[in-house]
Amino acid sequence: MLSNMESMPLAQQPEDPSSVLAAAGRARDRLADGLRLPRGLFPAVALAVAVQVGAGAYGVAAQTTAGLAVVLAGAAVFLGVAALVLVQFRRVNGVRLDGLASTIVLGTGTMSTLVYMGTFAAATWAAFESRWWLVVIAAVVGGAAYSLNAFLWWRAYRLNPVERAGGVSSRTLALLALAACVGFAVLMVGS
Amino acid sequence: MPELDPLIHAPARLQVMTTLSAVSEAEFATLRSALEVSDSVLSKHLSALSEAGYVRLRKGVLAGRRTTWVALTRTGRKALREHVAALRRLIDLVD
Repeated sequence: MLSNMESMPLAQQPEDPSSVLAAAGRARDRLADGLRLPRGLFPAVALAVAVQVGAGAYGVAAQTTAGLAVVLAGAAVFLGVAALVLVQFRRVNGVRLDGLASTIVLGTGTMSTLVYMGTFAAATWAAFESRWWLVVIAAVVGGAAYSLNAFLWWRAYRLNPVERAGGVSSRTLALLALAACVGFAVLMVGS
Repeated sequence: MPELDPLIHAPARLQVMTTLSAVSEAEFATLRSALEVSDSVLSKHLSALSEAGYVRLRKGVLAGRRTTWVALTRTGRKALREHVAALRRLIDLVD
């Protein structure tokens, strides 16, 4: 028995640190590699953001109570779609990924933030100028860029799940979304 | 300098902790499938890790059925990082 163990290469012994780490890494990869995104997640996010940008631009330019309602409706569409895809993801995979939630709800990422702000500003300017075709183009570009950012995040997660898994918790995201809607409504009513 | 943590030195517990590091929270059955262990074995390890404050267990619902959700705590993540660093140092010493 002893001779058998002595003849066994170190890497094959169950308590060998390399084997222990490798086995743990395989278990982690089994979980991460098995995760699947709900069908149509990226187009749904792109569409929801496009609706939100378009509705926001129209509402801000209108500067009326009806405009405020449109802004809030656009935000509700976006948050509803985001919540739906995240719940679907959790149901399909049996895991929660705060990094994915942050990426979809907050659009974390420099490119995503810059493109979103740029397209929202362009759409708002176009709405003030009544150039509705430009509002539509800006909204579509904003939605596509936002969705592309989510796609890039997912690809990065597949390469390094430990680094990318973390993010803002779902509860904090819900509070932030609520605070943003209330704050925007207060601003619009006050102006 | 990081040292080996006796609580997660057992390969099965290290696998539980490492697997949980890839997600924010995992449902019990999902974790069991990834680790390829039985319910009782996983329950036993999770109880020990929970008592040490390394994982957080939460009762919840998934697709209409009651289940347990498991997440690494901040303390657990730190313990895992330090244990893995200690293991890597051991490997470096051998190599």
